[in-house]
Parts: sequence; C-alpha cells; structure tokens
Amino acid sequence: MSVVDTALVAGYTVGEFLLFAAAGFVVLAIGMLYRAVKGPTMQDRVLAVNVLGTNTVVILALLAAALSEPTFLDIALVYALLNFLMAIAISKFTVERGGVL
Amino acid sequence: MTGLEPVVAQVTAIEASLLVFVVLTALVTALARDVLAAVIVFGAYSLGMAALYTFYRAPDVALTEAAISAGVTTVLLLLTLAKTTRIDHETVFEEVNLPAAGAAGFLFAGLALTMGDVPAVGSREAPVWSNPDVTQWYLTETYAQTGVENTVMAVLAAFRGFDTFGEAVVVFAAGIAALIVLHREVFA
Repeated sequence: MSVVDTALVAGYTVGEFLLFAAAGFVVLAIGMLYRAVKGPTMQDRVLAVNVLGTNTVVILALLAAALSEPTFLDIALVYALLNFLMAIAISKFTVERGGVL
Repeated sequence: MTGLEPVVAQVTAIEASLLVFVVLTALVTALARDVLAAVIVFGAYSLGMAALYTFYRAPDVALTEAAISAGVTTVLLLLTLAKTTRIDHETVFEEVNLPAAGAAGFLFAGLALTMGDVPAVGSREAPVWSNPDVTQWYLTETYAQTGVENTVMAVLAAFRGFDTFGEAVVVFAAGIAALIVLHREVFA
C-alpha cells in the first residue's frame, strides 16, 4: 500500500485529494484563459499562455503522483521546455517582426 | 485492467474541468479575429489536450501532442505569419458563419449518435478483447520476440518496423521539399 492509497480526511485518500487539486488547477487555467482571449496587448497573451504552460506542468506532476505513474513526469519536463520555447518564439515575433527563432 | 475501473469511476472532476478548458480554447481558436491570438490560444489548447491524454494513461500520445502541436505547429504558424501580413482588428471575435456552423453541428450530431456503442474505458466487452488469441499473443510474446517492454512501442518499431520506416522516409522527403521551397537548401 503506497502513500497514495492512505486515507487523508473525510474518507478521501491522498491520491483522490491530489486529483481534486489537479482539477482545481485546471479551473485556474480556465480563468487564465480569459486573459489570453481578452488581451488587450500581445504581451498579456504571451504571459497568459506562459502561466497556462506552467499550470499544465503542475497538473501533469499532480497526475503523476496521484496515478502512481512516475513516467508522466517526463511529459511534464518536455512541457516545461516547450513552454519556454513557445514564450521565446512569440515574444521575438512581436518585438522584431520576421524573426521567430 | 481491474485497477482501472475504480479510478475512472471516481475521477470526473479533473476530466470535466479539462474538457471544459479544451472546448473553450478550441472555440476561441476558431472564432478569434486576430490570427496571432488564435495561434497563442491554440498553444493553450494543446497544453490541455496533452494533460487529458496523460490522464487517460496515454503518455506517448501526450508527448507527441506536446512536441508537434505546442512546439512545431506554433513555430511553423508564427513563421508563416512573419512571411505574410497580419491585419489589426477592432473586434475580438469573428462573426459566426451560420451555414458552416449548421454543417459542423450536423457532423457533431452524427458523431454523437455513435457514442452509445463505444465500450466503457477498460471494459472487458471491448472489441479489442473479442479476439483474445491475437491480443494475448502480443501481450505474452512481445518481450520474448522483440525485447521491448512496451507492447505499443514494440508493434510500432518492431512488428511493423518497415511501415514506420516508410513513414519516416515520407516525413524526411516532405522536410527536404519544404526547405527547397523556402530556399533554405544550405544551413549557413
């Protein structure tokens, strides 16, 4: 019996609690989507997507812990790198038009 | 397989919130008036999609989604934008084209009708189990035959290796063709 299966509060196990936390982070991501859509400037959108990416890394890490699948952390790592690449590419595009990478 | 059913039964909160996020980002991507905003929100869409794939225990698909959709597609679309022009718009959203929306609605309804016949996740009644001789052969013999622990990976890289090799050749040829069209034959 791993830590994930131990009871925490009100009959919920640690794994279930982590999954609820991940769901909470997704709700926060939906809130952040408002800034990505509304803008008004491109910088707002770039920052919003950067925060969304970091949010996704946290969600993936929580899923890895809750579902006892350590390999999911690899996806979180790939996403952390890609998130950085995306932010750099969009920022460069908005500052010096024509240059992406 | 037996451990999967209770997990799926109890975790609807994260599934539901992820699906809401994915549908919202998809709608915004389709309706955004500004192309750059659509590209950025599409990046967010693939972030949510990869989290969903990960939750459905498909980490290989999630990795591909991350690399292709969030990474390569975003950069390719930005490159295309840099080569063309981007018009500034007053409004945030596009007007909905009603005939196109109606056609998409019919397609959605048609696909939704088939959902009743889809077996439950992890179900023993699923068609993939209807031919146990084949599925069990792959599950038991894969490691002995190929030395690869992951059955899906073994099918892709070993049992149908020449097919995958052919796909790699096609992708490589497409990359060369794209470089020739972009006049980038030489990396200097």
